[in-house]
Amino acid sequence: MARESRPAHNAAATPARQPPVNSDPLTSTGRPSIAVRTPGSQGRGLQRPQGLSASGRKAPPGPTATPHARAAFRTIDSRRAAIFTPHRTRRRSGQRDARETPRNFLLPLGRVLARNTQPITTSSSSPGSLQNPSSGIRQPGGNTILEEEDEDDYDDEELPKRPRLSLPIDVEDDDDSPLQPHRSAGLEDENFTVQSIELPRRAISEQPGRRLSLGSVRMSDYYFNANELRSEDVGIDSGFFPPMGAFDEDNDAAFGTDDEAAGYDDRQETDVGRRESGRESDFGIVMPGDMNESTFVMAPQLQDSPTRPQVDFNEPMFDNDDPRSDDGGSSVGGGGHMIEEDWQVDDGGGGNETTVGVDASEMNDDATVLAKSAALQRGGSKSKKRCKKVSKHGIEYPALPPAVVKRLAQTFAKTSGAKGKITPDELKAIMQASEWFFEQLGDDLEAYAKHAHRKTIDESDMLTLMKRQRQTSSQTTPFALAQRYLPRELLQELRMTPAPLKKCRKANNSAVEEDEEVT
Amino acid sequence: MAPGQKLYPRATVKKIVKAHSNCNLSKNVDVTIFLDYVLFMQTLMKEAAIQSKQGGERGITARSVRKVTADTLAKFKG
Repeated sequence: MARESRPAHNAAATPARQPPVNSDPLTSTGRPSIAVRTPGSQGRGLQRPQGLSASGRKAPPGPTATPHARAAFRTIDSRRAAIFTPHRTRRRSGQRDARETPRNFLLPLGRVLARNTQPITTSSSSPGSLQNPSSGIRQPGGNTILEEEDEDDYDDEELPKRPRLSLPIDVEDDDDSPLQPHRSAGLEDENFTVQSIELPRRAISEQPGRRLSLGSVRMSDYYFNANELRSEDVGIDSGFFPPMGAFDEDNDAAFGTDDEAAGYDDRQETDVGRRESGRESDFGIVMPGDMNESTFVMAPQLQDSPTRPQVDFNEPMFDNDDPRSDDGGSSVGGGGHMIEEDWQVDDGGGGNETTVGVDASEMNDDATVLAKSAALQRGGSKSKKRCKKVSKHGIEYPALPPAVVKRLAQTFAKTSGAKGKITPDELKAIMQASEWFFEQLGDDLEAYAKHAHRKTIDESDMLTLMKRQRQTSSQTTPFALAQRYLPRELLQELRMTPAPLKKCRKANNSAVEEDEEVT
Repeated sequence: MAPGQKLYPRATVKKIVKAHSNCNLSKNVDVTIFLDYVLFMQTLMKEAAIQSKQGGERGITARSVRKVTADTLAKFKG
């Protein structure tokens, strides 16, 4: 509506043209008063007021309006119209946008330019193709010209240009394996999960040497390390529990068999390991080997426990008399040097007096001491054959009698479904395991007792240990276990435990106890 | 079930533990210790039997015992 009025107003700005056209409608509208002054412009002025009067506008100042005033009114009216028709501008702009395409400008431009411009001619273009643009002045003709020119370009080229390959094919062909397998291709062949197995680790607080009972490195751990690491597959952390391929000799020693000397070499090999362990070593006995007679036995704990030197000299090395006699002859002089290595190791292991690196003078002193000890040993008795082990505290202890171990093992082997007797090899392994077990148990119990500021291992320590071993729980009480596994005589002993320990147990435990007593 | 007619060497066990712990033992602890040892042996033999069966060996062998010793000891770590 407003758009229609605008061209009319523009036309009204030139009143000379307008009067003849608009005079008739003005008269037809029947408002002669307005048409009096400026007939050409009043038609506009009257038409406007008509439309605007509908919106309640007062009568325009039409009669007295100069063209400038009219223009001012027009702007005011247009503003009003713009205010009261909210989407007017948008509608207008939308219509105009729909109409204004590039084509609108290009069409007249093409008409103007087509007359005086020549079509673009390439050097290779044929003359025939030039005829079309010259003849066709119309616009679609221009489009066709361009297309033809493009076609001509392609046609005139003798050979199409070789496409440039992004990847050089030739270089690729030179490769041995043009198709590289995917990285994951090899994964299926082998079982790589084996490598991802996390080996058992110890917490820092449980590192060897930190606390004696927890994670302590036992001397037996390092006993045969040198042999073991070579021979066996190290499935587990070898520092923790060495594979036990070679402790047969130790067991042999425990059993009192003859080939005790076989372990001697192993001991010397693992001397370094024991030195690093920082623990007091228990190797009180070094057997003279059958093969090397020069080796000889020393008492390592001599200086550590001066109060009871006799015990150290009662060593089982007297089993073999031949090397003893040989060494005995030269014990004071030459014997000492042979022992140097072992002696040094034991000092380092004990950590009591000397460091690992022993001076030559100290070694000489040690050698003399050893010689003395050797001399004493010669005079010593052979009575204690069983006392072959020395604990880390320097206390000798007897080995568990193999008969007991064998009986136990036989019983449990039967119950676990294994057939056959227990071979001596197996017994050796079991003996070694039980030795380690007692060592570990002693460490643990010591830790518990020390923690309670006791010097005596109580039964409460043992109960704590069994609880921590998950052997006893709320379901299984220690007494029930004892009933199941211990002979009746031992049960009797257990029943005579002092009263305060009974209090520690549960009520049903005591009930069980009483039932047992009744029966 | 109780293994054996003979009692275990109480003095020996006591001496062993005493040597390892450098502590005195109260009167009847050794019985409990021996009970623990029995349990340990049971576990050891059971594990060894399982191990030997897995390895296709017949009966318990020394190798299987050695293999399971570390695990069993770790299980009995207090």
